[in-house]
Amino acid sequence: MSENPFKIIRSTDQPPESLRKDVMSSVKFVMLLMRFVQLFVADFGSALFDKVRRVGDDGAPARPGNSNNDTRS
Amino acid sequence: MFNRGRKKDSALSDEELVSLLQKQMDTERFGLLYDRYSAKVFQKCVGMTRDRDLAKDLTHDIFLKAFVSLGRFDHRSKFGTWLYSITYNYCLDTLRKGQRHRTEEVDERVEEGHGAEDAYEAQLLGLRAERLDEVIGKLDPADRALLLMKYQEDLSVKDIMDVMSLQESAVKMRILRARERALRLYGQLYPEEP
Repeated sequence: MSENPFKIIRSTDQPPESLRKDVMSSVKFVMLLMRFVQLFVADFGSALFDKVRRVGDDGAPARPGNSNNDTRS
Repeated sequence: MFNRGRKKDSALSDEELVSLLQKQMDTERFGLLYDRYSAKVFQKCVGMTRDRDLAKDLTHDIFLKAFVSLGRFDHRSKFGTWLYSITYNYCLDTLRKGQRHRTEEVDERVEEGHGAEDAYEAQLLGLRAERLDEVIGKLDPADRALLLMKYQEDLSVKDIMDVMSLQESAVKMRILRARERALRLYGQLYPEEP
């Protein structure tokens, strides 16, 4: 029986040596990017609200349920 | 002293390496996976695209995609099958961007019996290699990928179902249609041969 022609036409090319270096430097860059995102962006909410606080008329932080600022009579 | 752990890494299976990478990203460990699979991925890309330069770019992108998606690998299939799935889908997307989508609706019903399937298969496998190569190169990328998976990589229908995210009947139907189209194209290119 003759050999499967699909096996005969199979590519036997090897990837260029330089490709490994390219892939690994891209992977390192992506890792760096992921760490950056982890450090500065994922915790963006808490980083932002650490710096912001809501204050009342007297400069003291407003407490939940405090109706001093309610102008309705 | 510190190299002892590294030496052991090369003895780990693909799945063990992936588990370690999922816990902690490590370029050297990922490099081991690259060394094991780069030739296979590159050869599949050459087979799909018939273009060495494009295959090089695609191989680069496929490994980068694999690295970024490693966290989503759920160990239900082999790492090789998962990587093949990324390779197949990425090559197909890239090739499709370069051509208009076919508007032809694929009828997923298997209309013909096994006799017809076997006859087509025998005909296809009886073609001369250099002529088959030409036919494969001119086929629609999706048909080409299917026939290469089935007859070159010897993937089972189950594996192809995983790679293409299709039902069994749909995979069988598409393989049958791809064979028909390949033989029709062969008849057009070499009308002197029955």
